[in-house]
Amino acid sequence: MSLKAIYKYGSPPNFYRFAMKLEPWCFSLGVFLIVIGTIGGLFIAPKDYQMGDAYRIIYFHVPSAYLSMSAYAAMGFASTIGIVWRSTVAFSVAKSIAPFGALITALALITGMLWGKPMWGTAWVWDARLTSEFILLLLYLGYITLHASIKEQKRADRAASLVAILGIINLPIIHYSVVWWNTLHQASTISKIDAPSIVGEMLWPLLVMIIGYSLFFSAVICRGGSAEVLMREKRSKWVKEI
Amino acid sequence: MDTYFQLFIRETKVAIKRWTDALTGIILFFLIALLFPLISDSDKDFLLKIVGPIMMFSAFFSSLLSMQNMYKPDFQNGTIEQLLLSKRSFVGLILTKTFAYWVFTSLPLILISGLIASIYFVTGKAILIIQLTLLLSTLTMINISAFTSAITLGIRYPGALMTLIITPITLPILIFGSKAIENSILGLDISGPLYFLTGMMMLSLFLGPWITASALKISMD
Repeated sequence: MSLKAIYKYGSPPNFYRFAMKLEPWCFSLGVFLIVIGTIGGLFIAPKDYQMGDAYRIIYFHVPSAYLSMSAYAAMGFASTIGIVWRSTVAFSVAKSIAPFGALITALALITGMLWGKPMWGTAWVWDARLTSEFILLLLYLGYITLHASIKEQKRADRAASLVAILGIINLPIIHYSVVWWNTLHQASTISKIDAPSIVGEMLWPLLVMIIGYSLFFSAVICRGGSAEVLMREKRSKWVKEI
Repeated sequence: MDTYFQLFIRETKVAIKRWTDALTGIILFFLIALLFPLISDSDKDFLLKIVGPIMMFSAFFSSLLSMQNMYKPDFQNGTIEQLLLSKRSFVGLILTKTFAYWVFTSLPLILISGLIASIYFVTGKAILIIQLTLLLSTLTMINISAFTSAITLGIRYPGALMTLIITPITLPILIFGSKAIENSILGLDISGPLYFLTGMMMLSLFLGPWITASALKISMD
């Protein structure tokens, strides 16, 4: 079943049609949910009794952080499929994920810093999660630069995919080693969201934002991936017909 | 077995001919380690505190410097292609080549690290622990370097790119290596970090040649 799906959507014209059909839905629904979530988060959700209004950046920080990791997972998955089946579509998708993944990782870091400044008194602490987020950014940048510096398309795809796969294997190791390093180093001086288990009114905009971000991201990938497919297949017959 | 041994002999000859490569690594290792007490503080307690990070850092840097020549000359003169055509397993040949490279670039570092450790006022068993840690971690690092230099073969100036790829992957090794050294100096339990390093070494010895071989095949296309 799943193999059949890979063969079906692995064919560039099928993928293109599917992605183009999917894209407007993801885009409009994603934007709608982000607007709803922003309104809900900024105006409707109650003030936090400790952090006041400053906590509201959570509605941008958490979705980006969540998405930065799942985007890397998606990139690794697409790269694996690309390596195994030598599929143009998978390589295109992986390539189009990379810049937006890096962007959203940077966004997560920046919003985290903005949040950290009033809350912790400093924009950066050598906390495990911050450090591994930063390493994630480095992994994205490694993928992008490697892909950009190899001129031949096919070789660039496969080489960069190997790096992405290695990153997937290594990400948990990096994360846990940083966590252990931190806990061995010192008792955490600043407790992160010592969650007084977040209440319903605060939670729903967050969930809406996460779903909205994911949908928007999917729309971006649909568009980027199909543009990439078109570029690569520009000599084939079906592209000329479009 | 014969082919592998011959390859090792050949690598030895090449290493003797290109002795400056190995020497550069050793000099860099030495200089970084010597420079730190000079430019910061030569207080004994302070030095004992930073010896772990310094050791890992200088080993990492000297491997960064020496790995640029790991496959490039052999790739340009066609040796890698011949190895690929050999009827022996390509992965096994790569493992032999990486191991030979380790012998000539990293083993000297481990030998002189005892000397550097005594400059940093480390005494007794801790020196052996430092050498053991370096042994485990350089074996891992050499596999990561092999992969990175194989994947960047087709690029003209791969220096910065190599660093970008290699740093995130090597980070756990550096963390746990310096942790092991620090613990051994403080007289704490070192089994945890050493187990981790051994595990990483096993993983990289198993996965490394295999991934490096496929990276070389990609570069060869």
